[in-house]
Amino acid sequence: MYTLRRWWDRNWLQLGLVGLVISAAWIAKQTQGAAIFEIYQLVTRPFQSNPPKQEVLADAKTLELQVRLEEIQSQNQKLRELLGYVSANQTKGIVAPVVGRSADHWWQQVTLGRGSQAGIKEGYIVTSPGGLVGRVISVTKNSSRVLLISDASSRVGITISRSRYMGIMRGQSGDKATVQFFERVPDVRKGDAIATSSVSELFPSGLPVGRVESVNLSQSPAPEAVIVLSAPTSYLEWVVVYPSN
Amino acid sequence: MTNYRSSFKRPHPLINVSNWHPNTRQIANAIVIFCSVMLCLLSLPTRLPGMELLGLGPNWLLIWVVAWSVKRSAFSGAIAGLTLGLIQDGMTAPYPTHAISLACAGILTAFLKKERYVEEDFISVALIVFGMAIVAETVLALQFMTVSDRNLAEIWTDHQRIALCSAILSSLWAPVVYYPLNLWWEKINLLDQS
Repeated sequence: MYTLRRWWDRNWLQLGLVGLVISAAWIAKQTQGAAIFEIYQLVTRPFQSNPPKQEVLADAKTLELQVRLEEIQSQNQKLRELLGYVSANQTKGIVAPVVGRSADHWWQQVTLGRGSQAGIKEGYIVTSPGGLVGRVISVTKNSSRVLLISDASSRVGITISRSRYMGIMRGQSGDKATVQFFERVPDVRKGDAIATSSVSELFPSGLPVGRVESVNLSQSPAPEAVIVLSAPTSYLEWVVVYPSN
Repeated sequence: MTNYRSSFKRPHPLINVSNWHPNTRQIANAIVIFCSVMLCLLSLPTRLPGMELLGLGPNWLLIWVVAWSVKRSAFSGAIAGLTLGLIQDGMTAPYPTHAISLACAGILTAFLKKERYVEEDFISVALIVFGMAIVAETVLALQFMTVSDRNLAEIWTDHQRIALCSAILSSLWAPVVYYPLNLWWEKINLLDQS
């Protein structure tokens, strides 16, 4: 008993400190590092860039395509109205700067400089020029974390825009992803455009995702295709966040 | 205090740590530890030009854990790794946990120094960081194999890329963290012993 008492007298401070440090780390883990990301956002605020000029849009070809797309969209809208299809009301997106990348090497995440104060909630969809980028997985007051679709753990239901065959997309590192098809022999070719599928629960349908780079129909258990993502997930600067369905 | 002063040449005239009360020194040490960890945590999500290789940055927490465990016991190395790993889990994703890989790095580093395999300068610390980065990423890859639904072949191709980039970058940037921290802890230790 006496030796125990002496040991305690000598080591209580150390034990208490170790307990304190571990519980602080545990709290940081349970709160998803919210405090750290808030401080990060505060510290990096002076270095965050202003919105880029509309140089991209100056390109005449892009402008022409945009006009055509708007024309087709409005036609589509009218046809849907004629059919009696009730469309979901269009919501305005929240523009957010990308202030940080993933905090380790195995996850493809980005940190945005807007949070719940700007109206972002968990599960919101993130897009950039080029199409779908990812999904918001955690939000603090002034920052939010996005799991990119190029992450190996994210799954997106997709459909081939031309032939309407469906599959599941799994991220690979960089700007590539693999698609596994449900059908044994899907109609898919190199260069086909890929969009999110209408049966996807996490993502709204019809968002552009990428293009097919190569097809491997003999892959087991399901035919696979490698696709190149159309959004530049490695060089994101500004993104637009939309509510999910 | 007086006889100590006569026998010891002050290392730096600007901030005279040796005049401080031992308790003040302890608090200053705690503040230095907290601030250095905070700096490492805040530099994790950044990718500054020159610190990036294939989209990956240095593993600042690993560098800190190695700098901490080089002259400490395996137990304190493990505690440091566990603590920083839990925080990193909060900042990324909880499964698989970074706590195990960083704790392994801390323990191994502490053992390495005990055996006196290497001298204590920052070239050898850079080498230790290189080795520990590979160990830490391998431990993470092994965890990915067991808990995640990732493809086995993809995990190991990712592992090669990540381990190499992380090891190169971390060992290059290790002196930035190690040098000032080591200076500070050496000074504190010397004063505490005298």
